[in-house]
Amino acid sequence: MEKEGGKNLKVLMLGWELPPFFAGGVGVVCYHLSRALCEQGLDITYVMPFGPTMARSDYMKVMVTDHLFPKMRFRLKEVDSLLGAYLTPEDYDEEFRKYLMSLSPKERAKALYGPNVFQEAYLFARKVRLIAMQEDFDIIHAHDHWTFPAAIAAKEATGKPLVVHVHITEFDKTGGASVNQRVYDMEREGMYAADLVIVVSNFIKQRLIDNYGVPEWKIRVVHNAAEPMDKSIFHDASKIKETDKIVLFIGRITLQKGPDYFVEAAKKVLEKDPNVKFIMAGTGDMLPRIIERVAELGIADRFIFPGFVNREEVAKLNKIADVFVMPSVSEPFGIVPLEAMWQETPAIISRQSGVSEVLNHVLKVDFWDISDIASKILALLHYRSLHDQIKHHGSLEVRTLTWEGPAKKCIEVYNELINKGM
Amino acid sequence: MVSVCFYFQVHQPFRLRKYSVFDIGNNSEYFDEYKNKEVIKKVAKKCYLPTNKLLLKLIRKHKGKFNVSFSLSGVVLEQFEMYAPEVLHSFKELARTGCVEFLNETYYHSLSFLFDKEEFKEQVMLHKQKIKDLFGQEAKVFRNTELIYNNELANFVQGLGYKIILAEGADHILGWRSPNFIYIPKTAENMRLMLKNYKLSDDIAFRFSNKGWIEYPLTVDKYAQWISRANGNGYVVNLFMDYETFGEHQWEDTGIFEFLEHLPKEILKHPDNNFVTVSEAADRYDPVAELDIHHFMSWADIERDLSAWLGNSLQNAAANELYRIGRLVKEAGNPKLLEKWRKLTTSDHFYYMCIKWFSDGDVHKYFNPYDTPYEGFIAFMNVLNDIVIRVRDIKKQKKAVAKQKQEAYTHQADTSSFAHSFISEHPSENLLDIDFTKK
Repeated sequence: MEKEGGKNLKVLMLGWELPPFFAGGVGVVCYHLSRALCEQGLDITYVMPFGPTMARSDYMKVMVTDHLFPKMRFRLKEVDSLLGAYLTPEDYDEEFRKYLMSLSPKERAKALYGPNVFQEAYLFARKVRLIAMQEDFDIIHAHDHWTFPAAIAAKEATGKPLVVHVHITEFDKTGGASVNQRVYDMEREGMYAADLVIVVSNFIKQRLIDNYGVPEWKIRVVHNAAEPMDKSIFHDASKIKETDKIVLFIGRITLQKGPDYFVEAAKKVLEKDPNVKFIMAGTGDMLPRIIERVAELGIADRFIFPGFVNREEVAKLNKIADVFVMPSVSEPFGIVPLEAMWQETPAIISRQSGVSEVLNHVLKVDFWDISDIASKILALLHYRSLHDQIKHHGSLEVRTLTWEGPAKKCIEVYNELINKGM
Repeated sequence: MVSVCFYFQVHQPFRLRKYSVFDIGNNSEYFDEYKNKEVIKKVAKKCYLPTNKLLLKLIRKHKGKFNVSFSLSGVVLEQFEMYAPEVLHSFKELARTGCVEFLNETYYHSLSFLFDKEEFKEQVMLHKQKIKDLFGQEAKVFRNTELIYNNELANFVQGLGYKIILAEGADHILGWRSPNFIYIPKTAENMRLMLKNYKLSDDIAFRFSNKGWIEYPLTVDKYAQWISRANGNGYVVNLFMDYETFGEHQWEDTGIFEFLEHLPKEILKHPDNNFVTVSEAADRYDPVAELDIHHFMSWADIERDLSAWLGNSLQNAAANELYRIGRLVKEAGNPKLLEKWRKLTTSDHFYYMCIKWFSDGDVHKYFNPYDTPYEGFIAFMNVLNDIVIRVRDIKKQKKAVAKQKQEAYTHQADTSSFAHSFISEHPSENLLDIDFTKK
């Protein structure tokens, strides 16, 4: 990416996480987007609070503030020396191993999103301010509201233009029922401080306009893309498939993901066709309630709950499933159906999702319309030419959704601000 | 001498409602009455009524020198009768001028010629009767759904007593030849074949309001010049298009009505020019050559073939199922069910299942009640499944009645003649293999 003077565009990117270190959906998106931006010729310095991570050196510079300032000393000299210490890959790997060994998965999650997370966010802000004053960059790009205080600090310290990237809001997480005021304030503050706001869908754009009062002119929609997956993966499910067809749900078992609608739809499907197995992969606060409900409906023998599944298991499940369902109540984007399509499994997705804005070769439903969900599951299970066509066109479609597109759109957003002379 | 032959197609299908799997066996209302009424009313207001009024005015003004031809599908006529009788009235008024010719087609605007010739014939005869009843005309001209045409069709239609047939003037069949002549179908020497001049037709139907078009804006004098240019290279310019061009595809504010209003006068400025109906054209001019067309062609999309309706496996599966079930419906002998089934033969249902339009622009989206071709397929197949159940029920009832009679007369419970329930014969892979009557 050339800008005026022929210098590469330099981005200070702030994130709360990055794979492989405790990566939720946002971390995965950050990883792919930053990588694609670097492929477009940008220089990125990615700053995150905890880590370190393997993704460090092959395409961008990664800084982990937890390690840069282990004793909370804020003298600039120390920043320099610590940075130096992390510049060799060997040291990095060593630190990475040590760090992972020192924490249990639960602790990692706690460190990232525990009760002290507000404290961590403001601590991160103080550290990022120092880094911002040292680093050379043209623009600040912040993911996830936990980095917004840091993003504002960096902007105040340097006067550089700020883009905040909204992947999800508090309203989507809570279904609007129990919005945490402190989270809301943090989100809103970041949106207001930003020069432009990137959102992952029109769905979220509307949310920002309606619930956060962000003016429409300030919002740019950049849809996510699909992560390439290993198609060669194989899993033998012939025993189950001898008698049954498989309908799959993958995701956190929480209000936002609509697991209860999946169960009610399953009941309706089973009334017409008893030879269907429903797999619900994932965990979450609603899991006990869901299991109870399944028992109550008398369809427990038709359900499998494998719990949390890793990436390889996700691929396997997608491979063996006949139909994938994402009945999310509120899904800012929703990457899971793309993984199903990658494994040539037809997907039914809720219209209340960002991903439904970019997909043609899926069946779309309203999450509350369990009849329609059930009807479409049955249609896909029984109309073979329908299954074949959606499978075929869907797997082609998902391969066209590369990260190059979103990266280019982000660059347009950067240029818009830089050319404005901000 | 150049004759201009306008033929307008008028058609609206009975769109299906969002018929779910759970409706199968429980609900025999297949059609979206609300939506269909709404479309008819809307298009009547924007297109049918104002354009009919304008044509009537032009016909009266030019005192026999301006005339046009129409083909109205049976299903659109039925919908006029139900939802917009004033439109039907205005067509009758046009008929009474003596300057309007009404053509024949399949009553249900179907693809039946491709699947079931007996059914095709019945639908053509139904339409013939309908046109005769409404407009008092015995049609000599046949146009098949979407101008689908080949040798075999020409031959078959000749057998039904028609004299003239219409087709697309597609480049791939004409080559260096001009569409502005009358031709003879290779397999039907008593028939005359008239071909759409698609360039001049599409200038009005598709390009009229396209600001990116180099000829924009299209004025009547410019267009009349193009028409006159045909002089020396043919006798008759066939302008075939959807009637909805006026006011619906090209909105009123594009100036399409002014264009139509002033066109006849401009064309008739040249003393050699005139307007003809399809029959008049064929009467007036001798055919110049024989055309040999084996492959089916149509007037749709850029391909000008059948791929808009039968281009993917959804469409093929749905069509094959439909006509397979049609035989069972006829055996069942219930006129109401047969009528419903026939409404499913309308080509639009297959058009909605076209996957091409995801990349092929939005022409197929027009009047399309579904978000995706997949939804169209699901609703259609669910309805077919319901029909299968209705057929089975009718069969069961008949069987029960027959059994009673038999018992009454012979006191024997011999049901052997009913042992082969036709419903069990070759169940298709596309049909749901589960019992949908289960509550």
